[in-house]
Amino acid sequence: MAKGTAGSDRSDILQGTLDLIVLKTLDALGPQHGYGIARRIEQVSEDVLRLNEGTVYTALMRLTQRGWITSSWGTSENNRRARFYAITRRGRQRLVHEAISWERMAGVMTRVLKLAGTGQS
Amino acid sequence: MMTRLLASLRGRLRRRRIEREIAEELQDHLEREIAAHQMRGVSPDEARRLALRDLGGLVQTRDATRDVYATWLDGLWRDLRYAVRVLRRAPRFTVTALTLLVVGIGSTTAIISVAYAVLLRPLPYPDPERLVFLAEKDGGGIAWPDFQDWRARATSFDGLASSLADSVLLTNGPVPKRFESRSVTANFFRVIGSTAYRGRLFDEADSRPESGATVVVSHGFWLRELGGDAAAIGQTMSINRRPFTIIGIMPPGFRYMTPADVYLLLEPQVAANYRGMQSRLTHTTLFAVGRMKPGVSVIAARTEMQAIAEALALESTGKVGPYVRVQLVSLSDRIVGTMAPTLTVLSGAVTLLLLITCVNLAAMLLNRATARSHEFRIRAAIGGSRWVLIRQLLVEHGVLVGAGGLLGAAAGAAILTGLIAAAPRDMPRLDEIHLDLAVLMWTTLACAACAGVFGFVPIVKTAGTIMQGAVVRSGRGPTRSATSLRWGLMIAEMAVATVLLAGAGLMVHTMLRLTRVDPGFDPHNLQASSFSLTGASWPDARKQVFYDAVVERLRAVPGVESAAVTYSLPILGSNWWQVFMIEGTTAEHWIAVGEFPNAGMVPVSAGYFEALRIPLLKGRSFDRTDTPDSAPVAMINSRLARRYWPDGDSIGKQIRQGLPADPFGPWRTIVGVVGDIKQEGLDQNTPQQVFLPAVQVPRTTMFAVARTERSVASSSLDQAIHDLDPAIPVFNDRTMDRIMSEAASRRRIAMIVLTVFGSVAVILAAVGLYGVISQGVADRRQEIGVRVALGATYAQVVGLFLRHGLIVVGFGIGCGSAAALAMSRSLKSLVFGITATDPATLAATAALLALVALVACYMPARSAARVDPLEALRSD
Repeated sequence: MAKGTAGSDRSDILQGTLDLIVLKTLDALGPQHGYGIARRIEQVSEDVLRLNEGTVYTALMRLTQRGWITSSWGTSENNRRARFYAITRRGRQRLVHEAISWERMAGVMTRVLKLAGTGQS
Repeated sequence: MMTRLLASLRGRLRRRRIEREIAEELQDHLEREIAAHQMRGVSPDEARRLALRDLGGLVQTRDATRDVYATWLDGLWRDLRYAVRVLRRAPRFTVTALTLLVVGIGSTTAIISVAYAVLLRPLPYPDPERLVFLAEKDGGGIAWPDFQDWRARATSFDGLASSLADSVLLTNGPVPKRFESRSVTANFFRVIGSTAYRGRLFDEADSRPESGATVVVSHGFWLRELGGDAAAIGQTMSINRRPFTIIGIMPPGFRYMTPADVYLLLEPQVAANYRGMQSRLTHTTLFAVGRMKPGVSVIAARTEMQAIAEALALESTGKVGPYVRVQLVSLSDRIVGTMAPTLTVLSGAVTLLLLITCVNLAAMLLNRATARSHEFRIRAAIGGSRWVLIRQLLVEHGVLVGAGGLLGAAAGAAILTGLIAAAPRDMPRLDEIHLDLAVLMWTTLACAACAGVFGFVPIVKTAGTIMQGAVVRSGRGPTRSATSLRWGLMIAEMAVATVLLAGAGLMVHTMLRLTRVDPGFDPHNLQASSFSLTGASWPDARKQVFYDAVVERLRAVPGVESAAVTYSLPILGSNWWQVFMIEGTTAEHWIAVGEFPNAGMVPVSAGYFEALRIPLLKGRSFDRTDTPDSAPVAMINSRLARRYWPDGDSIGKQIRQGLPADPFGPWRTIVGVVGDIKQEGLDQNTPQQVFLPAVQVPRTTMFAVARTERSVASSSLDQAIHDLDPAIPVFNDRTMDRIMSEAASRRRIAMIVLTVFGSVAVILAAVGLYGVISQGVADRRQEIGVRVALGATYAQVVGLFLRHGLIVVGFGIGCGSAAALAMSRSLKSLVFGITATDPATLAATAALLALVALVACYMPARSAARVDPLEALRSD
């Protein structure tokens, strides 16, 4: 994902992946504001994932709509008013569920890709 | 999905705040990024650029976020607001369409709600289709001994009961109050299937002589007269000066045939020979109701009862008479029977009106669609999605029909209230009528379907052709199919208008005929009230004297020209029908003929015929010389005289009421013959009548009738009777004009409704025709210009357009006339004096419609001929 592109055609799969990443981040880090989440994702993925940071905010809105995270206004570390997001119980359930699916899918993909070709690989 | 929807709804409510918060959040994010970049030594401008790039654009991010919480609901809301705006920009179209919808939906909902409640909804009794109504032949009352025989022999019924509508005096206080009552057999409530609201209802045990006198009261009576007191059960009430114990209260809203305040047992009354019911010759207003066994059909029950009646007749030759036959119909037929034809006609008429409404709406939408097809072609050509266009149109029509539906519902409720208020008082099931939501939904759906089909089919087609890369023409001309569709709609409208107008014409003709019927008496300035002399304090002798006193007292009232007392009032029918013998004939003779002489018996006071201005044809009228002790006399009407003394003179002949084996009263000498009057109503034949002197044949309830010179308040007449004896109930005061008007009410309602609908239909058809032809003229302006320039005459140009119009009018009226003839059967029972296919009336209405239509065609055609060819060729 190149930084800065507002890609809307690679929507669903990437949306789902991003949602998962954000959920996991909130689950691991605890309540965090949008800026912090974006920074953390960059950090953890060791810059492999170069996000269009705007999509993080879209993902946060989506997750809030679905009730998997909640938000509240608080003060950030530099004494500014910031919106903090936290994962909910339903969000945690969803996380577990999605993680299992993801691993299953990853296993399937690995097996498929290891299949011998028709002799023209 | 629900969470998302709810969140979206909440989101819309606080939209502004959410947007502000998002903006704030993103702004904060940017500032941090910028600060971070600046800390690494980047210049402020470069930092800002980098930050914006990394974010992916501020505006794009904001929009992307907004799209997340917008759902299809927001799209719909947007379409709604746009639709309302579009409709407001075309006020003439919107107002016309809404008016059409309101008129169509409102009137249809109101009238069909009435029809459904009265005709279709099952009666409010358990298993109502098993209930049947029994009467003697021609719908007359049953003799009690006959009823007992029927009940003993019939096998088709779970139970056979009978009842008698009556009135009672509540004599609890010093002034007696009169109430409507119904005397029923002990098994009546079980047969009907009613249960008590409180207490219990009659059962077989109550009919035994040793059980005390019991009464069941209606819910309304309990509330009004007994204060709704739960302790009323078990209390005693004084009815006709005798004590009755209240044993039960009927459920609220219970009604059998006519409303009644109290229910009494019939058996004790029969035991006391009330109204002479023990005699097989007495036919009061006793009717029976039966609950057929499961599996028995109405036809089977009728056949069985017929056989029983004939068997009874055969068992004793003296019983042969006109009352041997049984009439058996389902209870619902009896209750609503008289209203069925009227309501069917009205329902049909209003459905036709709805049809015309939809057709007109369709034509309007079609016009509008073709006018806007240009706009839609362009929008489609520059990339507008077809789905968005269709959705927008759907919403537009939805708003139109939805608004029309809501307003139509309100109009329907208002019209229904008006109809209920204007309905004839004796209309069956009047209190069960209310607005039916199902009907409303159906009519609204019909309009919506029509709007859907005719509104956007042409648009979809045009939008479709663009998608396939067809050339965009700038022409405003309609497609071929749209034009023929329009003409088709016009033909349908003309046909419907023809049918409605034909119906209206037939009813108008009928009412005219009715007004020309000679009633046989002078109905103007006549007022009548009823009074009852009930109870032991009114022996026959006292009644006889009282009648004269009433007449004297009434004559003394200022403004009263003449007065009299009678048992039956003209138009209202005969309430005493009896067989009689003619001296010098034998029973065998009449048995051979097949029918004993019979007539309506009418006790009247002296001066009755003078008061009603019934002509005396022969002999003399009753006068002062006829007293209770003088020779028994009678008068007959001309019809009776012609029937039984066709060549000779009836004066001086003797007749006696009753059969030879079972006579009623003495031999009477016929002293006079009077003219025929329409006793049963203006539209019925004159019955045979025998008039008796009231002083010699006194009855309990009589009419007091007075002819007044100018309008005298009815209360002063009632007061006159009250002055004689305040304890006598005086009720039902009305004028003869009102009686005749109410008798014609069914027909009048049909006439008014059909005329209104017919007029609306004609106007709509004419306006539609005018519109279509004007449209045609406008569309073909260039062509007209060319023709005129090439030398076409006025007549030729006019003829061009008139031709189409004539074809439509011709086809429309032709189809409509055929439909009117096919549907004429529904009007058969309503018309009078003419057939339902009266050619003169149908031709007249068709001609009227044709004239209006031709004028509507001619006017725009004429303007076509005035088109300036230069102008026409130059434009476009």
